[in-house]
Amino acid sequence: MGEVFVVTSGKGGVGKTTTTANIGAGLASVGKKVVLVDADIGLRNLDVVLGLENRIVFDIVDVTSGNCRLRQALIKDKRLDGLHLLPAAQTKDKSAVNPDQMRTLCAELKKDFDYVVIDCPAGIEQGFRNAIAGADKAIVVTTPEVSAVRDADRIIGLLEAAELRDPKLIINRIRPKMVRQGDMMSIEDIIDILAVDLIGVIPEDEMIVITTNRGEPVVLDQSSRSGQAYRNINQRIMGEEVPMMNLEEEGFFKKLRKIIGLK
Amino acid sequence: MAYSKGNSHSDILSGFGQGLPLDQEDLVDENTILVQRTLRSGQSIRYNGNVVVLGDINPGAEISATGNVIVMGALRGVVHAGAGGDEKAVVLAFRLQPTQLRISNHITRPPDNESLDADHPEMARIRDGVVTIEVFQTGLNERVSANK
Repeated sequence: MGEVFVVTSGKGGVGKTTTTANIGAGLASVGKKVVLVDADIGLRNLDVVLGLENRIVFDIVDVTSGNCRLRQALIKDKRLDGLHLLPAAQTKDKSAVNPDQMRTLCAELKKDFDYVVIDCPAGIEQGFRNAIAGADKAIVVTTPEVSAVRDADRIIGLLEAAELRDPKLIINRIRPKMVRQGDMMSIEDIIDILAVDLIGVIPEDEMIVITTNRGEPVVLDQSSRSGQAYRNINQRIMGEEVPMMNLEEEGFFKKLRKIIGLK
Repeated sequence: MAYSKGNSHSDILSGFGQGLPLDQEDLVDENTILVQRTLRSGQSIRYNGNVVVLGDINPGAEISATGNVIVMGALRGVVHAGAGGDEKAVVLAFRLQPTQLRISNHITRPPDNESLDADHPEMARIRDGVVTIEVFQTGLNERVSANK
């Protein structure tokens, strides 16, 4: 019996879809059976980020409305054997699915997969309620901005109201240099407000943009810092203890050594 | 026959929000519909007949027709011609770069690691049981090459 996670944030653009893709790809790359569910009906993106857009024939609405069987709608990833995607519908809207259907769907997926990861849409309306309906645990993504933290706080409240206790927090796009200068909220500031367990911090990284546009999750890129951050998060999801990554950027001498080829 | 602009055909076009009631007579001509707009992500057309689009089909948009589909622009979304099972249906576009291309019950997609974006009109149809894409040859093409 697998576990169902929902990745949510309230605010848009903080990295829910990127996080979902990287958690999924990361867990699958260590041999887990994972299915990603795109609950953002009408504004689907997860398929694009995974580079699987052109394989979609049936979607989540086809499954919940009985147009096709669940197996028919699942798309197998082109790189990772254990990774599957249940895409959202693009030409429908959020009301095409209801929370009861989502609960049934999640229960069904849990039987066959180790992890079910749901990509939640932005907002707190029906799309959000659908996405959290079948979830066992929640991962809240935020960025170090007051607006994103405020929305994350609201979301954590709504999750608690829906009996989803102890959500885990991911702080995305942090810039250690700006934090040092006092221009950006620090990890401590955010945890102070939200008072939930931190499961990972992802530094701002250009590789995210590059890999997302290519349709390859950054977690598979062994050299990038954000990839390492996601690998750490995945190990924590699997219940391992991993120390927090040192976010401080490399000093001048270390950089210089790297340039001249000394590791 | 006159073609009415605006949202007057909401039962065929979806994703455009609420529209006025449809007057079929205004837009159906020999079972072909003319769509004078670009179809954006999330918008779709389902039609019993042929569809001609004066505009682009963006990624995330969908056209499904029981007949042929002709796009006077770039086709980047999902297209289904011969949706009722017509194996003779064709898809023609000025720039044929679909996310996915379906004719009758055949489903194809472009290869993963290739980008062969042709800069001329192309036509897709079923030949010997496979969807094939060919240069759309017109008399004009021949004349141009003869002049060279």
